[in-house]
Amino acid sequence: MILKSLYKQLLGIVLTASLFYSCEETVNPDLEDAEPRLVVDAWLTNKVEDQFVKLSWTQPYLENALPTGISGATVVVTYDGGEITFTEDAEETGTYRWTPTEATSAEVFGAIGRNYTLRIVTGNETFEATSRINRTVPIDSITFKFEENDPQYPDNSYTAEFWATDPVGKGDTYWIRSYKNGVALNKPSEINVAYDAGFTAGGNFDGVTFLPPLRSVNPDEVDEDDVAISPYEPGDSVYVEIHSVTLAAYNFLNEVIIQTDRPGGFAELFSTPLANVSTNIVNVDPNGSKALGFFNVSAVSGLGKKLDE
Amino acid sequence: MIRKLPVFIIALSILMSQHGWAQSRYTLSGYIKDASDGEVLVGATVYIKEAGRGATTNVYGFYSITIPASSYTVEYSFIGYQKVVREFTLDKDIRQNIELQADSEQLQEVVVTAEDDQTSKVQNVEMSTAKLDIKTIQRIPAFLGEVDVIKSLQLLPGVSTVGEGASGFNVRGGSVGQNLVLQDEAPVYNSSHMLGFFSAFNPDAVKDAKLYKGAVPARYGGRLASILDVRMKDGNSKEYETTGGIGTIFSRLSFEGPIVKDKGSFIVSGRRSYIDILARPFVDILKDGGALNFYDLTAKANYTVNDKNRVYLSGYFGRDNFYFDSNQGFNWGNATATVRWNHLFNEKLFSNITGVYSSYKYELQFGDDSRNRFRWNSSISNFIVKPEFSYFISSNNEVNFGAEAIYYFFEPANANGISNGQPTDISLDKKYNLETSLYINNNLKINDTWAVEYGLRFSNFQYFGPGTVYTYNDTIPGERKTVASETKYKRGKSIVNFNNLEPRLSVKAGLSEVSSVKASYNRMVQYLHLISNTTASNPLDVWTPTSNNIKPEIADQFTLGYFRTIGESKNWEASVEGYYRKTQNQIDYIDGADLLINEYLEGDLLSGKGRAYGLEFYLQKKTGRLNGWVSYTLGRTELKVDGINHGEWYAARYDQTHNLKIAAFYEMTKRWSVSADFVFITGTPTTFPTSRYVVQGILIPDNASGSRNNVRLSNYNRLDVSFRLEGKQFNRKGKERKNRDYWVFSVYNVYARKNAFSTYFSQSNDRVSAGQPLQSEATQLSIIGSMVPAISYNFKF
Repeated sequence: MILKSLYKQLLGIVLTASLFYSCEETVNPDLEDAEPRLVVDAWLTNKVEDQFVKLSWTQPYLENALPTGISGATVVVTYDGGEITFTEDAEETGTYRWTPTEATSAEVFGAIGRNYTLRIVTGNETFEATSRINRTVPIDSITFKFEENDPQYPDNSYTAEFWATDPVGKGDTYWIRSYKNGVALNKPSEINVAYDAGFTAGGNFDGVTFLPPLRSVNPDEVDEDDVAISPYEPGDSVYVEIHSVTLAAYNFLNEVIIQTDRPGGFAELFSTPLANVSTNIVNVDPNGSKALGFFNVSAVSGLGKKLDE
Repeated sequence: MIRKLPVFIIALSILMSQHGWAQSRYTLSGYIKDASDGEVLVGATVYIKEAGRGATTNVYGFYSITIPASSYTVEYSFIGYQKVVREFTLDKDIRQNIELQADSEQLQEVVVTAEDDQTSKVQNVEMSTAKLDIKTIQRIPAFLGEVDVIKSLQLLPGVSTVGEGASGFNVRGGSVGQNLVLQDEAPVYNSSHMLGFFSAFNPDAVKDAKLYKGAVPARYGGRLASILDVRMKDGNSKEYETTGGIGTIFSRLSFEGPIVKDKGSFIVSGRRSYIDILARPFVDILKDGGALNFYDLTAKANYTVNDKNRVYLSGYFGRDNFYFDSNQGFNWGNATATVRWNHLFNEKLFSNITGVYSSYKYELQFGDDSRNRFRWNSSISNFIVKPEFSYFISSNNEVNFGAEAIYYFFEPANANGISNGQPTDISLDKKYNLETSLYINNNLKINDTWAVEYGLRFSNFQYFGPGTVYTYNDTIPGERKTVASETKYKRGKSIVNFNNLEPRLSVKAGLSEVSSVKASYNRMVQYLHLISNTTASNPLDVWTPTSNNIKPEIADQFTLGYFRTIGESKNWEASVEGYYRKTQNQIDYIDGADLLINEYLEGDLLSGKGRAYGLEFYLQKKTGRLNGWVSYTLGRTELKVDGINHGEWYAARYDQTHNLKIAAFYEMTKRWSVSADFVFITGTPTTFPTSRYVVQGILIPDNASGSRNNVRLSNYNRLDVSFRLEGKQFNRKGKERKNRDYWVFSVYNVYARKNAFSTYFSQSNDRVSAGQPLQSEATQLSIIGSMVPAISYNFKF
């Protein structure tokens, strides 16, 4: 997956440099109408901080507004030996919160391998999803590199990469989430998922250091002229987290990359047809309405570093 | 019964040929060549006036006619050449080679079919074919002025493309991977340079290209939609000649000449793009071992050993290189080698044995240094042996039979990574296959009204070890299948074995001297599958063989056509053809399929049905100062795959309802000529979302109905024009110059229309702070969004 997007970028840059005849325009096509659907955004972690489940309605694709939250739902996560209830936020409609302490977080998320069920009751329908907390892997270090002449970036740029080694045993799946100066890097082009230390199940990179493209934690940023800028400057900080995810969540994220990371230009020659990404949210009534979104529980490791001035 | 069919066919043919037994019969045979350079003429006509019978030369320029003993007047002709008339007293077998003189007085003209009256499209049993000779191809305005075989074919009925820059072509609703592209009998697995902007064939080395869209003779097989047979020039056997050109993209140079005058010749041609050389001082990314270029080299030699034996050697090597620096980038290309031996057993039995090696390979690498890098390559190679025989029983009856064995060797991925100094090898198993076939084909002219061509191809495909194969669990259609079991096979052990019979039949009924009706049926079987789920096929797509999980693709096609010549001199030709093709076991992909370096690739594949039908209208003016053609196709191509579009029929990405093309050529003066082409195509189907939603700060599109290809892009239309200026024919002293040259000035997309290649949906690239809505946008991409002028200079000396 990432191989392909890397290859696309390679092509995109080379071809844009060599051919000047293509053109892109923002258009406003008529899109079919659709009934709104329930969207569940529930990515819980073992971090000792507020945990959220967000419920909202889908919107017309070109409607550039905040989605409408769904209030009045019952949101419960159960596991063998207990359950936690999420309570609706008074200010943010559709946001349901659970605030753990060191002790309650350890009690709920402390056992690697535990299964969880999310249950949402809204209107007269009940939705369920399951997940499992898998092992994560500690980050050994973060390094900055001064790139005098890297074709992807302007001369004299700084890039960052983290170092970690996937534990032996096939089938660990991770979402690597990074923050620059406290701001999450979550553009579609910045989504970074790993299967063991490599990209996919078929590619067998088990028990080794994460491959170079996965290790790089650089923001995708450009200036007004669409020219890439140096990812980091002295004084900037980077924080990297490795979230363990389920295989289903890993597949979900890969599908999200395919559907959302559209660099445009010649890369469009090699885009796949628009298709709906999967969901693990299931209506207990098979004839009931269909929901979208995802429920996942992660164990998280993290490490930060500042680029000295 | 079916097993005895070949025997039956031969018996029938011999029977048919015996009815004039009482009278002794003799054979007139030989080669027809161009008098100026010795190139054999393919499809040239031999017509015997008194007998009212004719024959055409085969792809090696050989003809053979058997008729009762008598005195005859024989006309040798080929469009664009002066007719030669000879008298023969046929009281024994006669071998007569003929050289035809190019008609220099005649204005340059475009010839799509080279056949003359007697064996024209109307009289011939052949249908659903199109032949373009290189002279025509050279006159069609091309993108950036580069003469292009495949782009030229796209101006003919039934041939289309998903858009500019897309590699390959689509024939009657077939996918790119369903075309067999042959260059001197060698399969070419990727027919493009620079993704799909230019085709892999060097026009200076091409003699002609013939496309079979339907009614495919039994000698061809292996792909569902079409066979494109590209023949390379033999090289000038009279004198040394250098041709070349300087274009916007490529520079070309060819050298040809006799090895032994009139007995053997050779041609060597090369092309190289030179953007990188021009751009290097200006573009940063080409520093430090970076590269951006493509080149190809074509070579061919032939030698006539004696009256009965002639040998040919030909080879091709092409490569595209894209490198950021010495550590990062990729390259791909084809290599082919062909050796052929024509042997005449006697005046009636012509044989050709071909041996071929062909491969396609790509290689990609990235990384920082030797401790951190990733390298990966993939290839398909094959070896082919193909003996073929033509038995010219009489002037009305020809039997072709032969066999073909193809050994395939696949390397789906040789990949290894070094991460922080630790190497890991993730290469996939190699795959070994053997495809063998036997065929027999009879072309029989029953009388002036009826002609029939029928044949049978038997094909066998074997997949054998060493290798590991998997079986997969059933799941909800459209989802990834998980591995159920794995089996390891030893070297040479058969894993799967498929047999298929592929019947072929064409019938012609002449209505009058100027019109006929033809019908055909053919079954085609395809054992190799191009794994590609992107809009345009890309160089990293892999070919994969039929296996325990992938069945052979099968297509049945029916065609019906009406053919007519118009005008006093029969210089207009018109046809209408209808086709209906249904396919089985067509490959499709789950959403989010992972097609590269995936050991469990087959778990991501789906299988479905296809149907394509349409009407092709064609009108051509063959001669005169103004000539050209109009082609219109009304068509539909649909797929039905469990797991896509709720298992309902949906329009394929290359479905085009209306496809109109006009090509015109006009000779303004002796030196100036102008060519133009106009294209109008219905917008291709695509999928638009209805809704958006946000998960973890990422905006995701959704199509609530879950349908595929629910809308169409806007219609496509384009006009291209090119002017050609011939260099002076005479020097100042009034002597004819030996050197010939011409300039081509062309403009592609004259009115700079921004034709949509795709419309894509994405969130804007700005970083959005918390609490602010994400911005979604729709972007329309035009691969060529402006007018593209180009100039080239071409020479010959």
